Amino acid sequence: MTIEKAYILISVFLFLSGLFGVIIRKNLITMLISTELMLNGVNLALVSVDRIVGGVEGQVFALFLLAVAASEVAVGLGLVVALFRLKGYEGSSEITHLRE
Amino acid sequence: MEWLIFAFLSAWAVLSVMGVLFLKNPVHALLSFISLILAVAGMFLHLGAELLAGLQLIIYAVAIVVFYVLVITTIPWEKVKRFEGFYRREFFVGFPVLVVSFLLFAYAIVKGDFARVGLPVKDNVKEVGKSLFTTYLLPLEVASVILLTAMIGAILLGRKEE
Repeated sequence: MTIEKAYILISVFLFLSGLFGVIIRKNLITMLISTELMLNGVNLALVSVDRIVGGVEGQVFALFLLAVAASEVAVGLGLVVALFRLKGYEGSSEITHLRE
Repeated sequence: MEWLIFAFLSAWAVLSVMGVLFLKNPVHALLSFISLILAVAGMFLHLGAELLAGLQLIIYAVAIVVFYVLVITTIPWEKVKRFEGFYRREFFVGFPVLVVSFLLFAYAIVKGDFARVGLPVKDNVKEVGKSLFTTYLLPLEVASVILLTAMIGAILLGRKEE
């Protein structure tokens, strides 16, 4: 068990707890924060695998992931604000228009 | 010494993750998310990715968190109060599934072996910059287009309907 494998274990933990947060949280904003947790876990896995394998490709992909995270936050929070302004929704259990 | 740093950083990260998942108030969850970002930046430094640690601090801890705080301030507080906390039933159903999948992942990682194709690089920032602007030049340009598209989309979504 090397230190890089331990870091990959931590990254798997981060990803799964982000998924758990998306499932259980009631508030839309905290759900978005949990998706950020998942993205952080993937970043950590890329960097630690990079350290094992050698080379810098994982870090380059982690940089692209940072750009994707920034755009995801912009669009996601725009959606949350639009939902709140048009419908007054703030919880994930209120959005049932497509189901009904 | 390496394991000591690892234990410190991972305990910090696990505590902050618990805060993000279980704190009631969204602002408190956001504060523990900042703490998690700092822990992950420390892990990047420990793994020898200095450029990524700095960018993590700049992009996540400054830009993204400020964006979240701005959005939280635009939403009236009494509306947020109705939807804080987490769903109980989903918690008890989801928790065993996630524990089992974590154990599967952990088994695969601990027992498995990784390929070793290259040597560890010496000058990390220089190598990352070099491969970013030679091999991965096209994805870099595509990333800038993605950021532009997200900006236009956010403006369109946030616009007032006429």
